Amino acid sequence: MQLALANHPIKELKFGESARLAGTTLTVDATELRRLVLADPSISGIDFEIVHPGERCRAGPIFDVIEPRAKAPGAGANFPGILGTPTTAGLGTTHVLTGAAVSVLAEISPDLTRSATGRLLEMSGAPVSASDYATLRHLLVIPHTQPGLSRQAIERAYRIAGIRIAVALAQSAMTQPSESLHRFDPVGPAQGGREGLPRIAYVGQIFSRQRKPEVDEPILYGANTDGMLPVMLHPDEWLDGAVVPSLHSWFGGTETYFYQNHPIILDLYRRHHAREINFVGTIATIAGADNFDRERHCRAAANLVKWNLNADGAVMSKYGGGLPHADLAETARLLETMEIRTAVMVSDVSRDRRVESALLFNVPEVDAIVYNGGNGTQWELPKVERVIAATADFEKLLAGPMTIDANNIVGVTNQQGASRMRAMVY
Amino acid sequence: MRIAHYLNQFFGGIGAEEHAGKGLTIRDGAVGPGKLFESLLGANDQVVFTFICGDNYAVENQAELTAAVLEKLRAKKVDLFVAGPCFEAGRYGMAAGALCRAVQSELGIPAVAAMSEGNPGVDLHRDALYIIDSGSSTVKMREVLAKMAKLGRKLIVGDAIGVAAEEGYFRRGWLRDQLVEKTAATRLVDMLLAKMRGEPFESEMPPTAFVPVPIPAAVKDMSKAKVMLITDGGLVPKGNPDRIEGTAATRWGSYNIKGRDDLRAEDYEVSHGGYDTRFVEEDPDRLVPLDALREMEKNGVIGKLHDEFLSTCGRSNPLSNTRRLGREMLKKVKQEGVDAVILTST
Repeated sequence: MQLALANHPIKELKFGESARLAGTTLTVDATELRRLVLADPSISGIDFEIVHPGERCRAGPIFDVIEPRAKAPGAGANFPGILGTPTTAGLGTTHVLTGAAVSVLAEISPDLTRSATGRLLEMSGAPVSASDYATLRHLLVIPHTQPGLSRQAIERAYRIAGIRIAVALAQSAMTQPSESLHRFDPVGPAQGGREGLPRIAYVGQIFSRQRKPEVDEPILYGANTDGMLPVMLHPDEWLDGAVVPSLHSWFGGTETYFYQNHPIILDLYRRHHAREINFVGTIATIAGADNFDRERHCRAAANLVKWNLNADGAVMSKYGGGLPHADLAETARLLETMEIRTAVMVSDVSRDRRVESALLFNVPEVDAIVYNGGNGTQWELPKVERVIAATADFEKLLAGPMTIDANNIVGVTNQQGASRMRAMVY
Repeated sequence: MRIAHYLNQFFGGIGAEEHAGKGLTIRDGAVGPGKLFESLLGANDQVVFTFICGDNYAVENQAELTAAVLEKLRAKKVDLFVAGPCFEAGRYGMAAGALCRAVQSELGIPAVAAMSEGNPGVDLHRDALYIIDSGSSTVKMREVLAKMAKLGRKLIVGDAIGVAAEEGYFRRGWLRDQLVEKTAATRLVDMLLAKMRGEPFESEMPPTAFVPVPIPAAVKDMSKAKVMLITDGGLVPKGNPDRIEGTAATRWGSYNIKGRDDLRAEDYEVSHGGYDTRFVEEDPDRLVPLDALREMEKNGVIGKLHDEFLSTCGRSNPLSNTRRLGREMLKKVKQEGVDAVILTST
């Protein structure tokens, strides 16, 4: 199992007659993309915009950010299980438009009880230092869905439109020679030649079942996690489209882009390459809806780390909101009792900025915690020249000047490990 | 800058334990450790007066002492209030902490204290105050005073205060965001590897410890008890009349169920964004089990079901807020003579 990434750096995006890559400039054929997306009967129309780093521009609410990638012919399906048959992700060559992104705008707010604006993409000013997304060239995709659809059907249409366009963009560039080809060092529980190095696993939650997923909700290889027990994935499967965020959780700081560029997996690969560690594999797990579920998932995940990966240590991340803290901590506790050392990453849940409200677990064995911040920072955003939104109401709402919580800028708080905003204890 | 200093009878030069009952004395200028403190500051900085009080007097008459200190400071403005170092002296620490707290909150004057870790003043006041860790030995007096001076100056000027380990104060338990160089992913793997190698590592979040809530005595006879239902699952009458927020609710409501045997879907909605509310919306008894309790009432398992149920939304609710909600609910529960409460969560 080995993935090769054929990188095509993109410095400029522009609209034009036919899609092509010339040097580092990608021409986007909006007519062709529109035709592609309108094949979905739940979408009635679609608009496109292009934004570049440094532009005094604001867009939102952002439903998802996706890196344009496409599999070379014969290497299997793009987003297997969603756009094609569920072939194994992570095999063969995948073409990547580095420096570019497809970002999907929504016509609805993700969660009115938390934020009217949802998460915004801000391309200039103070937030730029805290979100990697501000450094990318974005093709903004603005789908308009048919009236009368359920929220889930709308979100599903957004998901499919976004990844379809991301794949199509990369396909239009794939005929050009790539600038570089990146291959990762072989990884797996039985890889030889690494004796004596610490055996490290990654355990990542990919969904929290505090909400029952829709029947047709794509999460893992197109399936919705119903009946799922934790499963071993090769790290390249995460990077190559096996996993996408759930439909309703776009406020939680999980985007397709950082599955494709998974910060924890890439960091483990880097150290694996430097022969600092032996990266033995990953487990995809879910947070349970109740204690029965929790027991099943946590035990199964810990057992895979112990008996299938034979790991000495595990880094762990969570999904969604507060409840998955419990599953994260319980899995870590089980691993610690098996003599497998753990470090966990949690999101900021302290709304009163007190340490006592910071964790939803109190487990002495879970003593190595990385804490993402974002709940305590606000930015004053100026009025900007260009506001891009799916509806007139959002356009008005986003015009500025406005005060915004840092975690309402997409990319600032991220549960996949990309965040550099930390809550320090004083 | 003008500084006021608080000392106990011992450090204030009045005498040892036998003078612990002495009341408040106010001296002009610096006394004892205050002189050393002054020497660590700039040429234009001076301790303008020193409050000295016996330890027993201070803790037994804290309100009077505080009032006297505040009165003096209202008349004669200072830029900084300093107390101690108190080292291990518990009564001294408690009085110093209470004074610093009052000066800070009543007059808006920044305050700094210093104590040893075991001093009861630390746990009482660390959340509200900067308390420098003095250690237990007075040999470190100069070092401790220097830390107090450095922190005090920052507080006056409004400079950013560093983390606890940097500045030498006891962690106050507050969170502040900061952009750091390394991503969370890299910090996570760094931390794991340090832990596995047995190297020192610092968790970004200390463990939380809570005082256990004592379990009350059992209800003697449930068949005579008045029972109330309370939920944090956000069930509210249609239209959410009390506007209970679906996240971190600051309000709660009480809703009449007198004469009803069952909660009907058309009468209720759920204000809670943290769980799949569809099942409760279908049948609210799943969250607030009125139907089951009525049955128990009829069969004499419980004496009486209270005529109202209470509801709020627990989602992402910080403890400072939930404590208040709990206290408010408790008041009602007690007033209305409820013997037992069933709390249903999600």
